[in-house]
Amino acid sequence: MVKKPKSSELLLRARSAASYADYGLSRRELLRMGMHGVGVSAALPLLLQRTSAALAATTGGAALGPLGDKILVVVELSGGNDGLNTLVPHGNDDYYRQRPTIGLKKEELLLLDDEFGLHPSLKGLERLYKDGKMAAVHGCGYDNPSLSHFESMGFWHTGVPNAGEALGWLGRLADLGAESDGDPIVNIGSSQSPAVRGADHTPVVFSDPERFEWKGSERQRATFERLTSGDGDEAASSDGSLRNGEATDAEGRHLTNPSLDFLHRVSANAAQSSQFVRTACADYKTPVDYGIRAGLGGDLIRVAALIAARMPTNLYYVSAAGNQFDTHVHQADVHSRLLMYTSDALHGFMEDLERIGRADDVAVLVFTEFGRRVEENASLGTDHGTATPLFVLGKGVEGGLHGKPPSLTELDDGNLIKTTDFRQVYASVVEEWLGFGETEALLKASFDPLGLFAGKG
Amino acid sequence: MPPLVRVALALTLCAASAFATTGDAASTWKERLDPIGAADWSPRYAAHLLERAGFGASPAEVRRFAAMEPNTAVRRLVRFETVEQELPDFVPSGIWKRGMDPFPASRAEAVRQGYENGESMGVKVDPDNERPLQPIVDRFFYLLRANVLEARRFSQWWAQRMLVSERPLQEKIALFWHGHFATSDAKVRDYRKLRLQLELFHEHGLGNFRDLLLGITKDPAMLVYLDNGENLKGHPNENFGREVLEMFSMGVGHYTEDDIREASRAFTGWTQYKLKFVVREEHHDDGTKTVLGKTGNWDGEQVIDIILEQEATPRFIARKLYEYFVREDPSEGLVGELAETLRESEYDIGALMERILLSKDFYAEESLGSQIKSPVQLAVSTYRKLEQKRLPTIPDFNVLTSSLGQMLLHPPNVAGWSGGRSWITGASLLQRADLSRQILFPQVEDFRDPDRQLPGIYRRVAERLEQGMNITEATSSGSSSFSQLAGKSEDYNTRYGGYIGYVMAWDVVKKIERKPAAIDVGGLLDAEKAWTADAAVDALTQRFLSVALPEDRRETMVRFARSVGLVEAPMLGAAQRWGSDNEEALRELLHLLLSLPEYQLG
Repeated sequence: MVKKPKSSELLLRARSAASYADYGLSRRELLRMGMHGVGVSAALPLLLQRTSAALAATTGGAALGPLGDKILVVVELSGGNDGLNTLVPHGNDDYYRQRPTIGLKKEELLLLDDEFGLHPSLKGLERLYKDGKMAAVHGCGYDNPSLSHFESMGFWHTGVPNAGEALGWLGRLADLGAESDGDPIVNIGSSQSPAVRGADHTPVVFSDPERFEWKGSERQRATFERLTSGDGDEAASSDGSLRNGEATDAEGRHLTNPSLDFLHRVSANAAQSSQFVRTACADYKTPVDYGIRAGLGGDLIRVAALIAARMPTNLYYVSAAGNQFDTHVHQADVHSRLLMYTSDALHGFMEDLERIGRADDVAVLVFTEFGRRVEENASLGTDHGTATPLFVLGKGVEGGLHGKPPSLTELDDGNLIKTTDFRQVYASVVEEWLGFGETEALLKASFDPLGLFAGKG
Repeated sequence: MPPLVRVALALTLCAASAFATTGDAASTWKERLDPIGAADWSPRYAAHLLERAGFGASPAEVRRFAAMEPNTAVRRLVRFETVEQELPDFVPSGIWKRGMDPFPASRAEAVRQGYENGESMGVKVDPDNERPLQPIVDRFFYLLRANVLEARRFSQWWAQRMLVSERPLQEKIALFWHGHFATSDAKVRDYRKLRLQLELFHEHGLGNFRDLLLGITKDPAMLVYLDNGENLKGHPNENFGREVLEMFSMGVGHYTEDDIREASRAFTGWTQYKLKFVVREEHHDDGTKTVLGKTGNWDGEQVIDIILEQEATPRFIARKLYEYFVREDPSEGLVGELAETLRESEYDIGALMERILLSKDFYAEESLGSQIKSPVQLAVSTYRKLEQKRLPTIPDFNVLTSSLGQMLLHPPNVAGWSGGRSWITGASLLQRADLSRQILFPQVEDFRDPDRQLPGIYRRVAERLEQGMNITEATSSGSSSFSQLAGKSEDYNTRYGGYIGYVMAWDVVKKIERKPAAIDVGGLLDAEKAWTADAAVDALTQRFLSVALPEDRRETMVRFARSVGLVEAPMLGAAQRWGSDNEEALRELLHLLLSLPEYQLG
């Protein structure tokens, strides 16, 4: 832990939206020293630098606590990506028998070995594979698979299929593994993913960083900041004494208002993080090619920006949203395009991390809620299916193909039978990468990690 | 120790338990279903009633309801038939033309019809046209676009009703059922069907649940939305049957996959044609089915009755209504009692709502100001509290709410809007504040009608046509992000059709008249005789917030009011009034208030 700074220095930092659990001081401690309610007006770029420097010196960038200093970026492909046309079993005749029209010919593929090749749009992933930075895990799924987008995605989000789990696996991970101060999760999206929902933590959720801002006149601003930038704990005061005595029952007992507490936490979190996020994203310029800089590509640039600014965050969540991968009809072109966007963005992101010197700190997990039916349908597309490959990227991964390919002939009602429970992959990234050991508590059952990271196999 | 630090320390101590439960101490009214007495009735409770059973109210309306006996106030909302009112009906633009119904499912199908029949949607293939099928493709895109615009007009018509109706609960419960029986025009693509569905909710929303459930299983919009047209004897499509059980009546866990399959068979052949429910007997499976333990030759209506006999059904419905109107954490015992009310009344939703809205539990401290407003609730209630009589159209209502995650007639999926905390992210909180800014400081000069904009891809087509290019040149795409492989046929040009569809739709769909809110914050305060900075803050807090403002935050607001020159309203003529000179500052004050986390609660 670093030496605690003088209080005048602290005051300056407390004025910044960037004041996290840095310098070894929690917001609560700042609060006790009377720093709450101070307006946010300090020049940020300077503070960003100072915060970054200090954090780099102490923690390597990510949050303190049991989660350690590694970063995990989770990428959701929504709609059910066609795994068989992504990691293509070209050595298996049954693939071509079941997909006479939309099956991808061996000549078109980016060959990985005698059995498997990547879809021709996945040039970026092929490069990562060749560099030993891509691991793919065959046939991931869960027992009693649901063919509903809604339900199956929910299972991947909670990490507890066919149970009434309300919290997301990343939210629970933050609850268990991160310090109570700071921002262990950033979710880029217009609404919060159920995957990041936790009991104790408030993820930073935004879509367009430029709109992650309160707008008003100059003279209003200081007042607004005073009203909202107060410490979350102080602001979360639904205690009766602050509510003019109203929130007491007939016997004078104090009542709490959990909704108001929640709103204050989110509000304080937004006040704390929005300026940091806005400035970090606005200041970030990268020459790296992410392909199309909208959608996933744009979101990953934002993640890179926050990593570069050393936001104290372990877990990032982004999504190719809106059910895009739901390719029921005429899928060839649209699937090709979607994979190209995804692969270009992922490759660009990895290259960018290399550029900013953070490639050793980051791993990426790419998932979708299910694969698609083995047999093509009557409209040159594919219907909802079950098992699907998962991809894990990063310098730390044990590159190559992992797990057992699912059979294309022994099917469950036309669908692949999973060979790996997806929670083993979750266990791998949590245990082998983030170094967090309590995976059984996290996943509510015991799952063996798969040796997806170098030296862990 | 300074008071704030003392408070903060106290809170640090209780923070850990605060989020885990509703509170350390339950109020004495929590979970009590006996009715609130007239002696306990107060303006605060009347405001709470109008907030939840409607879309909020002005102080005058609150006073009006506070002056009634509580059971009179509740009955007036629930048994609304006695409340006289005449609201203008929706005036359609007439976008559907002869021969367009039934409308083809896709552009490809429209073209196929053109090739096979020489016509589609009431237009013929034109052999003299350079692109003979172009009129068909144009008409296809015209209707897609016209329907989008008409649906926006229709949802604004509904929002206008929410704003001014003297029967607010009729609108509020319709919004509830719209989320419960979620149906999106994004898939239905025919606002007329959604209009029929809303009529069902308006008519039976507080009536009998059997009528409602049966009505929705015969509802053309729903039949389209859940693909029941493809639910055929021998090839049952389970989408419809599954949702009837899972989302509409019993909830997950009270039936088996077999029940879904068997129930789906009973609904085979149920479909719609030209806005009417029809049963195609040849597609109906009249074999024996076993649904929820009962065996017989059931049809859809009988399956509904079997569902209504299940214990799970009244519990599921009562719980959902309670969670929507009161709180999210009812005990099992409370749900059981409410379900009993529903069962005893033979599914009279009004009877259940009356019991809920009159119960002490509804007015318990745990209930008051505990609900996060939906975007529609936020927008409409803001207008109501600003005493608007006409729905402002600058900013655009649909743009406002959809940027916060809710658009009428467009629930995200069959589960409806998740509601509650899912509305809130750090960014959405700031955007909610911006909703208030856009309402209070409308950008009239810079306003661009969102219903009259071409997307970039078509704007380029328009520009190139204007430069004198032919259709092929104007629609050729440099880069290919939307390259559609079928659009390159010479018999028609898809991109031109898409562009011209926009233009044709503008000719037909009535334009929404664009007007900002007529806001007079000073006038609202004058009516309350709130003529000092302190009084103004208190009056606005009283009017807009459902929870109290902590003293330190109130003090901050008052300091702001003074800092911008609001000390005391001047004498204007013989009377004291804030006047127009103070309006800007008052609006800024109000905008700050509406930016607070507290304002998200109702």
